Amino acid sequence: MAGKKQALLSALILAGMCVLPLGLGIYPQHVLIVSLFYVMMASSWNLLAGYTGQVSFGHAAMAGIGAYASGILTAKAGINPWIGIGIGTILAALVGLGLGALCLKMGGIYLSLTTLAFSQILHIIIVNEYDLTRGTMGLQVPALMAEYDKLSYYYIMLAAAVLILAILHRMIHSNLGLNFRAVQNDELAAKSVGVKVLYVRVLAFTVASAVAGFAGGLYGHYLLLITPEIPSLDLQFYVLAMTVIGGMGSFIGPIIGAFALNILAEKIRDYGEYHVLVFGLIALVVARFAPNGLLGLWKRFKPIKPIQGVKQKAVPSP
Amino acid sequence: MALLEGRKISKSFGGVQALSQVDFSVEAGTIVALIGPNGAGKTTLFNAVAGAFKPSSGQVVFDGRDITGLPANAVCRLGMARTFQVTRPFAAMTCLENIMVAAVNRYPQKPRSFIESFAREKLNRVGLADMEGFEARHLNVIQKKRLEMARALATDPKLLMLDEVLGGLNTQEIQQAVAFIRSLRDQLGLSVLWIEHVMGAVMQAAERVIVLDQGRVLMTGTPHEVVNDPRVIQAYLGD
Repeated sequence: MAGKKQALLSALILAGMCVLPLGLGIYPQHVLIVSLFYVMMASSWNLLAGYTGQVSFGHAAMAGIGAYASGILTAKAGINPWIGIGIGTILAALVGLGLGALCLKMGGIYLSLTTLAFSQILHIIIVNEYDLTRGTMGLQVPALMAEYDKLSYYYIMLAAAVLILAILHRMIHSNLGLNFRAVQNDELAAKSVGVKVLYVRVLAFTVASAVAGFAGGLYGHYLLLITPEIPSLDLQFYVLAMTVIGGMGSFIGPIIGAFALNILAEKIRDYGEYHVLVFGLIALVVARFAPNGLLGLWKRFKPIKPIQGVKQKAVPSP
Repeated sequence: MALLEGRKISKSFGGVQALSQVDFSVEAGTIVALIGPNGAGKTTLFNAVAGAFKPSSGQVVFDGRDITGLPANAVCRLGMARTFQVTRPFAAMTCLENIMVAAVNRYPQKPRSFIESFAREKLNRVGLADMEGFEARHLNVIQKKRLEMARALATDPKLLMLDEVLGGLNTQEIQQAVAFIRSLRDQLGLSVLWIEHVMGAVMQAAERVIVLDQGRVLMTGTPHEVVNDPRVIQAYLGD
C-alpha cells in the first residue's frame, strides 16, 4: 500500500544511521556496532522461527561457526579476514543445511531440542579443543583493517546489516515468503497446494545459518578476541528475546528488538547482578501486555480501518 | 480412459484395516460422489490418493501416470487439488494470501500482479471477494470451506477433490452450492470427486456414486441405482 512512504522512511532512517555515530563517543559507537550484529542475528533467526516456524536454538552456534572458522583461518593460516568471513559464511550455510535436513521430520519442541543439543555439542568442542580455539581463554584474531577504527567498523557493520536486511526483505516479499508462511501455518495444507515443504524448510535453515555465520565472522573480527560466549545459549536466548519482544514474524520487529534490548542492556548494567532481574521483568511485562511484541503493541494502537462487508454473500450461480 | 483410477488400494493403521482392495475410477469431465457411513474410509481414500500418506498396497493412476506414494505437493502439480474435511486454512494469512500461495506454486514465473488478480478471481468465484484482506482465522466454518475451494481452484487442477463441503448449510445454500459444483464442471471443465453426506445434493449433481462401507467398495452406480439398492440401505440403516 504505502510502498513509496516506506521506501522514503527507510532512506531517512538509513541516512540518520549514517550520521548518528559522528557526534558520539567510542562507547556509544561500540553499543551501536554490537546492536547491528544483533540486528542481523535476530532478523535471520526470525526468518527461521517467525516465518517457517522452526524454533532453532542453534542459531548462536552458527554465528560461532562463522566466527571460529574465520578466526582460526586468519589467526593460524594468515588468510585475509574477508576471505575468512566468506568461508565462515559458507561453512555455516553447509552446517545449517545439514542440521535443517536432520530436523526435517521434526516439528515444535523436538526440533528445538535437537538444535539445542547441537549447540551444546559445538560449545563443548570449542571449549575443549584448546590447541585450535584456545578454549575459554579466547582466540585472538586480526582486525579487518590495518588501523583499528571504531567508526570504520560501524560503517562496515551498517553496510552488512543493510545488505542482509535487503536480502531478507526481498525474500520475505517474494513467492518464497508466501511459501515460508504457508509452511508455518499448516504444513499439510501447504503440501496440498503444491508447496515443496521439505525444500522450503531446509532453504530457510540454510539461509538463516549463512547470515548468522556471516554476522558472527564480522563480529569476531570486530571484537578481536573470540570466546565460546558467541556460540553460547546466553547469546541464543538473547537473540530469541530480541525477536520475540520486538515482534516475531514481522520484518521490522527483530530490528527494533535488537536495538531496544541491546541498548537497554547497556543502560541497566549499573544495577550489577540485578540487571538480569530487570531484564527478566521487562520480558515478563512485554509478554503480558504485548504478546505480539513491541510492533504488535504499536499496531494495536494504530487506528483500525472499519471492518466492511462481513456479510454472507451467496455463491454465484452459473 | 479414466482420469483417476485406484487399483486395489489398501491401507491399514496398525491392526485396523481402513481400506481393503478398493477399485474405483473417475472419468474425465464427470462429477463422482463418494458416500458411505461414518468410518467407511472415505477420507482415508482421499488421503491415500492425494499423497497425504502412501497406501499400504495398490496403485493410484492419475492422468496416465502412476502417482502411488508421490508426495502431496507433486500430486498437486500434476493437477489434483483437494479440500479438507476439517478445514485447514493458513490461519494467520489473509484470504488473498491463502489463495496466492496456491497460485505462485502453479505459476512461479508469473509477476505478482498476475498472481493477485488470479487469486482475486478465485475468491470472487466462491463469494469471498469482500474478505480478501482478512486473516483466514476470522472466517466462519462455511467461509473457510469456501476459502479452501478457492485455494484448491487456484492450483488450476484437472481433478478437484472435495471433502464434505456442504456440512452446516441450509437448503437454499445447498442449492447454490450444488449449482456451484456443477459450474466447475460445466464452465471450467473440471472433474470432481466429492465426499458428501447430503444425499439430496449428491442426487442432483453427481453422475456416478461410489459407496464405501467398512473400507470396501459396496457398489458403484448412478445415484438412482445407489439409493434404491438394498445393500446400501442396509449399510446405512443396519439390519
